[in-house]
Amino acid sequence: MSEKNFIIAGFGGQGVLLAGEVLANAFMLAGKNVTWYPSYGAEMRGGTVNCEIVESDEDVSEVNKPDADFIVALNQASFDRFLSKIKKGGWMIANSSLIKEIKTRTDINYLFAPINKLAEEVGNIKMANILALGLTAKVSKLVTLDNLIQALDIVIPPHRKNLLPLNIKALKIGYEYDLLPV
Amino acid sequence: MTECLTNKKVLTKGNYAIANAAVLAGCQCYFGYPITPQSEIGEFMSGKMQELKRGYVSAESELAAINMTIGAVSTGVKAMTSSSSCAVALMQEGLSYAATDELPVVLVSVMRGGPGLGNIYPSQGDYFQATKGGGNGDYKLIVLAPSTVQECVDLTYKAFYLAQKYRNPTVLLADGLLGQMMEPVEFYEYPYPEIDTSSWALTGAKGRDGRIIRSYGPLADDRCVFLEKLYAKYNTIEENETQWEEINTEDADIILVSFGSTSRNVKTAMKMLREKGIKAGFFRPITLYPFPSKRLHELSQNTKKFITVEVNMGQMVNDVRLAVNGKCPVELINKGVGVPPSAKEIVTRVEDLL
Amino acid sequence: MATQVFKLPESLKGDVKYSFCPGCDHGVAVRLVAEVLDELGVRENTILAASIGCSVTIYDFINVDSLEAPHGRAMAEATGIKRARPDKIVFTYQGDGDFASIGLAESMHAALRGENITAICINNTTYGMTGGQLGPTTLVGQVTTTSPTGRNVDYYGYPIKIAEHIALCDGTAFSARVSLDTVANIKKAKQAIKKAFEVQIHGLGFGFVEILSTCPTNWKMSPEKAHERVRNEMMPVFKPGIYKDVTVQN
Repeated sequence: MSEKNFIIAGFGGQGVLLAGEVLANAFMLAGKNVTWYPSYGAEMRGGTVNCEIVESDEDVSEVNKPDADFIVALNQASFDRFLSKIKKGGWMIANSSLIKEIKTRTDINYLFAPINKLAEEVGNIKMANILALGLTAKVSKLVTLDNLIQALDIVIPPHRKNLLPLNIKALKIGYEYDLLPV
Repeated sequence: MTECLTNKKVLTKGNYAIANAAVLAGCQCYFGYPITPQSEIGEFMSGKMQELKRGYVSAESELAAINMTIGAVSTGVKAMTSSSSCAVALMQEGLSYAATDELPVVLVSVMRGGPGLGNIYPSQGDYFQATKGGGNGDYKLIVLAPSTVQECVDLTYKAFYLAQKYRNPTVLLADGLLGQMMEPVEFYEYPYPEIDTSSWALTGAKGRDGRIIRSYGPLADDRCVFLEKLYAKYNTIEENETQWEEINTEDADIILVSFGSTSRNVKTAMKMLREKGIKAGFFRPITLYPFPSKRLHELSQNTKKFITVEVNMGQMVNDVRLAVNGKCPVELINKGVGVPPSAKEIVTRVEDLL
Repeated sequence: MATQVFKLPESLKGDVKYSFCPGCDHGVAVRLVAEVLDELGVRENTILAASIGCSVTIYDFINVDSLEAPHGRAMAEATGIKRARPDKIVFTYQGDGDFASIGLAESMHAALRGENITAICINNTTYGMTGGQLGPTTLVGQVTTTSPTGRNVDYYGYPIKIAEHIALCDGTAFSARVSLDTVANIKKAKQAIKKAFEVQIHGLGFGFVEILSTCPTNWKMSPEKAHERVRNEMMPVFKPGIYKDVTVQN
């Protein structure tokens, strides 16, 4: 069974849930089965916000899995919390603008990228979440840039459509980020 | 979230799916009071109902919300309320009245942890609350339990239909997991025939004497004819509307029984057990009332064991035991509250019980 | 030639025996409501949300579509009816316990929302159906089965002045208190009831009438003495009058 899951995590306000929604929509557009499940309520206060996206060719086998193929950590707390949850051979995609580059686990892959800095270069630090999706697409090879762009168009509400070009730019910067050997 | 009719897949939360399906089902009025994890339903409805010039009230309490719903449906229109666990507890009196008044109230109950205030995490701890009721007297609610966001849509339509078809309050029993998660769903047109309510609805006594919708009156004799009629209706519902899903049950040595969101992981666990050479079957009641007791009893003739998997301290297991009636053992795998046990954990615990 | 000067209102059922106690004012109040529905020509377009208590039996006598609400929830059910069928005339008929104790939240919020509903509340200073217990309007000093030595405010607190409270709600269009102790007051009561329906018909908001009524059985008085009590004990505390009327310029 071909099934992969992603956890995107960060501070409240980093657009973690929205990024997850874009990713889930992109999988839907690709004809996959997909679930998106957020942390919610009190769990969101004071700590990290996160959501899990599971994509599958068949029915999604379970929601809120005990481990993950890909973790996207936008802050240190998320990195620390989810590092142990990554499957052997899985990926930690980490925002090195806010996370120390320490590789305590040797059985996983790391991508450290200065996501905040890159987003600022795009023109808006709030694009960090979408930029991270570009990185995720490149690393995972499970979702296309086209599907992500279409997904952005679905998720961004009508009154915010003026931000669509900037989001697409951030997505592409992430996707085209020079992946150093890890 | 502004969806109405889509006729194509859109990614949406269970709560929005339920709300949008209710709008498409022709729900004319929504009454509610906020509570996590179902507040999105009221949020969606507040905008949508105004836009469509239908009724919406931010009720002063759940007591008011359920009774506003009773008032609205008594006039023959479709109406609903939604709530969660400790607040559904406040609605029990109203549900008992709605049952005896034979009014097609639709209640969406998105379960969270309990008892008391509990917590906001997913739970199946209100199986008893929904199927046995906390209201007074002998009554039954039709209870539908979705396991996917698409089923949140399908069964919301069905809830409105069954409520009106049988003039019986109907509960859509979801949980925090389903309410908060997103999945691709399709919103299609309400698939059921409209029910004529003109023979009983309160619409003003034009050209006729006034009608009274009320609990049964004083005893005419020692028997309570009203309750016997009510229970005859329940028998009809049991015969016609019992719904379940079963996979690999015919040759199964053990049958895993589970409902709602938990059943997703249980289905996966069943497949994993099969891969290990264990003859496991999967059985999911979709209607919790009427409960598929008859089918479970049939299956008990050929299987060696039932195991129910629930996120509560063991509630549905009692109904399975009643259905099986001692024919074979019925065991429980449970977790008190939270997201369901993982498929792997279920497999391990099933193996421990073999 | 004989002229008919008194007849059964069309909005009352003719073939039913009233079950109120002898001398109870409920019968008069129900009749006044029926006469008003007749005069406004709305019987066939009216829906009643009945309550719990002696007031519930109104649906046995009044010839309109009726829904029996749980105790205290008549106003919520009336709200549901009105929101589902805004073209209908919707009213509740409740006792003081139903309206102002167990249903106070529903009553206040219906008034605050300005629901186009008419509410008739019978205030007889006691829970009549259950045998005369202390209620929200029981007068200071009044002996009931649950205030055997009288309502002592240090122990029981104070009674509520319902019409005044409802008048304070911005959504209220009309709020009045009336009495049925004399023919003149009965006439005034009917005018108030009519006004409370008219504000609904014109979509002006919540219409409310509190009716001071007797409970000879639980007060253990003759009907005549009971009306004397309304005059001498209730009216000085619960003063009749119109507390709000948006149709009148100040």
